[in-house]
Amino acid sequence: MDELDLLKKDWNRQQGNYPKLTFDQIYKMIWKRSSSIVKWIFYISIIELVVATVLNIIFSGDKYWEDIEKNNLEEVVTILYILSYAITFYFIYRFYKNYQRISATDDAATLMRNILKTRRTVKFYIGYVLISTGITVVGISAYMIQKHSNRDIEQASKYAFDAMDWMKFIGVSVIVLTIFLGLIWCFYRLLYGILLRRLKKNYIELKKLEI
Amino acid sequence: MEKELEHQFVTNLERDQNIVHKICRIYTNDQASHNDLFQEITIQLWKAYPKFRGDAKFSTWMYRVALNTAITLYRKKKRGIQTQDYDSVHFRIKVDEYDDETEQQLSLMYNALKELNDIDKALVFLYLEDKSYKEISETMGISEVNARVKMNRVKTKLKKILNP
Repeated sequence: MDELDLLKKDWNRQQGNYPKLTFDQIYKMIWKRSSSIVKWIFYISIIELVVATVLNIIFSGDKYWEDIEKNNLEEVVTILYILSYAITFYFIYRFYKNYQRISATDDAATLMRNILKTRRTVKFYIGYVLISTGITVVGISAYMIQKHSNRDIEQASKYAFDAMDWMKFIGVSVIVLTIFLGLIWCFYRLLYGILLRRLKKNYIELKKLEI
Repeated sequence: MEKELEHQFVTNLERDQNIVHKICRIYTNDQASHNDLFQEITIQLWKAYPKFRGDAKFSTWMYRVALNTAITLYRKKKRGIQTQDYDSVHFRIKVDEYDDETEQQLSLMYNALKELNDIDKALVFLYLEDKSYKEISETMGISEVNARVKMNRVKTKLKKILNP
């Protein structure tokens, strides 16, 4: 292609026309903070873990434990806690491993694949959070309803809840839960979508070559 | 030890900084973005420097890290809309020896280059830098055959942009 050869010739002639930074200017740069995509993915995932843990602590105050003790649920709740923390720590470990594996010195395809792998880990984590939150809320509600209906028999006159009321109660709960989980999902899509849109496009572009 | 490494690194980068500037020109449209990308590449190079064993030339190693940063790690920020004229001025400086026709052709070529996607830009860049297909394939993580095929496709693509 003639034009590309012409371009190449001109490209080589432009050598002297680039800015020239001094030793000191470059030296200062190496201490500036990186804004790379990977760093942000790692930070955001850590923030997510912290926020999830803090929310958990806030919602489980003394009152919460008293209620649990009253209902003889300590064992079940303790097991659930241990399980959920084990899973959380497993994710922290995976995030860290992914972060470590990502190296700018890999070839472009490997690097992009590693970043997208990190993204998949984050996706799994969010999925886990959404599902476990859903199950917990549903579980607690079911338990409460059961308890409540037992008490109903004793104090029927005071807290009469007819079938219609129950339907309304369950309906509203489902809607609230859906909105809540939907918000978390949207937030996640937005955050990682912005970070990874271009990267994904580039990766697909590169992958097309291999077929 | 750390100080020595710093000195060594900055000296190397100062000597070979043209490579980074060239990548910045291909991937950015204005001076502010150019400086941003240059800085991010410098940081990534410095972070990866301890792994640089010196079995390859510093400049060869730089191509890989710098291109990776441009197509993978760098977060492009949206800037104000730039006019075509400004783009070309930033992109290249006119050479007096060319006649008007050549000059116009070149300016069209540079603008066409801007329309390519990140991966195609990387390929054209490596081609302009006279890299072999072996080097291109190692940098991009694709096979040599694929690099060749892709390069031909990019040439066709450029032709299409120039002669719609």
